Amino acid sequence: MINSKQNLVVQKNEGLYCVPANVWIDPFKPVEKAIITHAHSDHFTHGCREYTCSIETALLLRKRFGNNLNLKVIDYDKKFLINGINFSLHPSGHILGSSQIKIMAGSEIWLITGDLKRQKDKTCQSYEKLKTDFLICESTFGLPIFHWDSTEKIINDVTNWVNKSEDSTSVLFCYSLGKAQRLLSELNSKNFKNIYIHKSINKMNMIYQKLGIELTEAKIFDNELQINNFKNSLLLLPPSLNNKNFLKQFKNVKTSFASGWMSIRAFKKRSGFDKGFPISDHADWNGLIKTIKESEAKTIFLNHGDGESLSNFLREKDDLNIKHLNRVK
Amino acid sequence: MSLNKFSKLFEDLDSNNSSNKKVNFLTKYFKLNNNLNNILTIYLLIGKKNKRFISGKSLREYYANIYKIPKWLIDECYSKVGDSAEVIALLLQDKILEKNIKDDISLNELINEILPKLKKLDENKKKLYIKSLWEKISKDNQLIFNKILSGTFRIGVSKGLVVKAISNMTGVDESIILHRLMGELEPIEETYMFLINQKLEQKELDYKPYPFQLANTFDERIKETISVDKYQFESKWDGIRSQIIKRSNNISIWTRGEELVNKTFPELIKIISHFKNDFVLDGEILIWDENKNRPKNFSFLQKRLGRKSPSLKIQKDLPVVFMAYDILEINGKDIRSKILSERRNILEKSFSNLISEDKSIIGKIKITKLHQISNWIDLEEVKNSARKSNTEGLVIKDKQSKYVPGRKKGNWWKYKIDPMQLDGILIYARPGSGKRADLYTDYSFGIWEDNKLVKFANAYSGLNNEEIRELDKWIRRNTLEKFGPVRSVKPELVFEISFDNIQISKRHKSGIALRFPRITKWRRDKNIMEADNLENALKMISN
Repeated sequence: MINSKQNLVVQKNEGLYCVPANVWIDPFKPVEKAIITHAHSDHFTHGCREYTCSIETALLLRKRFGNNLNLKVIDYDKKFLINGINFSLHPSGHILGSSQIKIMAGSEIWLITGDLKRQKDKTCQSYEKLKTDFLICESTFGLPIFHWDSTEKIINDVTNWVNKSEDSTSVLFCYSLGKAQRLLSELNSKNFKNIYIHKSINKMNMIYQKLGIELTEAKIFDNELQINNFKNSLLLLPPSLNNKNFLKQFKNVKTSFASGWMSIRAFKKRSGFDKGFPISDHADWNGLIKTIKESEAKTIFLNHGDGESLSNFLREKDDLNIKHLNRVK
Repeated sequence: MSLNKFSKLFEDLDSNNSSNKKVNFLTKYFKLNNNLNNILTIYLLIGKKNKRFISGKSLREYYANIYKIPKWLIDECYSKVGDSAEVIALLLQDKILEKNIKDDISLNELINEILPKLKKLDENKKKLYIKSLWEKISKDNQLIFNKILSGTFRIGVSKGLVVKAISNMTGVDESIILHRLMGELEPIEETYMFLINQKLEQKELDYKPYPFQLANTFDERIKETISVDKYQFESKWDGIRSQIIKRSNNISIWTRGEELVNKTFPELIKIISHFKNDFVLDGEILIWDENKNRPKNFSFLQKRLGRKSPSLKIQKDLPVVFMAYDILEINGKDIRSKILSERRNILEKSFSNLISEDKSIIGKIKITKLHQISNWIDLEEVKNSARKSNTEGLVIKDKQSKYVPGRKKGNWWKYKIDPMQLDGILIYARPGSGKRADLYTDYSFGIWEDNKLVKFANAYSGLNNEEIRELDKWIRRNTLEKFGPVRSVKPELVFEISFDNIQISKRHKSGIALRFPRITKWRRDKNIMEADNLENALKMISN
């Protein structure tokens, strides 16, 4: 827990909180003022008086959660003040619009990475390297077993997997926002009979296309279409459709899931997917260590996932002042 | 052939949940590869006592040592992944420089040259050799390489699928292929030739046991629909299911786990050599209590199983008997297709006199007695009397049924006595392995001894997936202390623990040991003060 009185940012039940600015970062409950790092639904709560975020995040939030949100839009790298405290947003490479939050108060700098990725992604700006005194870094994949393959390899594997067996429908489950578009920006529709996408993915694609981000050609998946149309095709669907009732309508179907967790066989087995493609929008073990070191922070807090292992490791090995934030009950 | 093809097969089998597809992959693979490769593949897939060259734990220690990574960190990875070979393969991704890969190891070379060589090396050299192999083998082959090394091949390929594939390919009946796969499987070309042989030569099966017939859990509804006369009722013995095979002068005893146990039970071999007939008997090995005329608890049998050649004293202190309940072959003739009542007749006729007259045989080979049950109402009473005779309940067998491999519905039913139960409190938890990695699924339970809780049972099964997930979350939120992967938790949740037997044990802190403990109910209605105490448990122990 970050609870010392001198700390600019503290961890509370409702999320991370910047004390002097009276602003919350990705709060779990409605608050007065919130900064939203990115548009995934687990980082957004309805009912806040004011949301501050990047332009891309604002477009995505509107599309997902409606036009009635009071959004304050800030360009990357532009300084802005909240209650006299200096803030700026910087790309974190996680998905389109995702932001790190830099806070400057007196001579002290704080950096909250939000969810981040160090691999290249054609659908969003790359992670921006920044120096800081205090770092709050995500650590979803904080174990050395997590080591991402290149995107080309994964895309190649997906392509081969779809085309390997004839007469079957290949369903690739992926999150509708971020992962789906990253895949669509890398896949080549010419290598497939057809690519179909779920309407929830298409809804997000519209924003991407408006911003000039190229996505490969795909048709919209419609239950009413003849099932035969999907034979030998690739279907991109949200993971919520991974259930027997839905899948039984296809005669010969194989399923897969695109997620970093799929590098562990037990996770794949438990969810019942035939195949897993370990492609992640988070940093892997080496990516996290690189991020921490490059920041040159003298105090580091890790958030989420296996942060305890990573912080223990770096404390032992490099004598860093680092600890894991346990989620408050 | 390099390991690539086997890796590919593994990947195909692992990434298809349909059995049909798996059989097709296997058939295709067998057709494309040579005999030696195929038999090695079968040897690995059906994992019949795959030899473990190195334990998963040592693999992890080697890795930590070689690459200077803290041991605790690798153990954390293991808790998440649930399989040491997979942990190593994942960790190695970082260490392998693809350009250096000279991946020319064949399956044969690995199993018949490298592993035996590895076995002979001392610790230090072994470590260096494994390091060189780790860095020589390509990324795609790391998982199967480490799995072969640690002897852990569980990839959802049952013997059944291999049998189907060979049967598809050869046109030979599945039951024959299954029979050929029984017993020891030597991974040499000849074995493969024998497996796929389209001619049937009974003689070749001489040393092999028949595939065992198994029982299903009794379906109470049959009491309403089927007449009691259709069945015979035997005690369900709690011993080691085995076949005794006597063919000419060859005698062998095979357990259901397909282990040859001649050496473990030399007195049985000696007795059987007194018989003039040839036969295959199906039954149960038990430790017998002469005074009480009933078997001793299973734990006594376990003491014998641990020993390869038991001393005369042990043979005397822990006397074994063979309780026969079926006969599958008589004087060279396979009689499995005769119906049960006929087989029972043959069993009684051929053995009753001998085993009650020949001094060297008396009491050592027994024929299970049939319970006379003339209506379904009496069934319960007979079943519940089983505890007195130290058996597990009843086996109910269709008199008209043939002896067939596996669990054919309706032929044999097992009807177990109601388990004993105690309500215990969850006190420790640790993550499971395999599919249950990173989920807290292995639990320890305590009962009260005065004002303190003593651990009395470990249980891994009995909850459904939803409950497991709920409990996993609860455990993470209510952890008191962590000891490596084990967490002690707030004593708050009560569970009903069922078990088949209970006895005094010096090895356990609580002084009691349970047989086959499992969770039968999450007692959300009970608070911890309502859980059982040690006194209640001790009262359950029969003399």
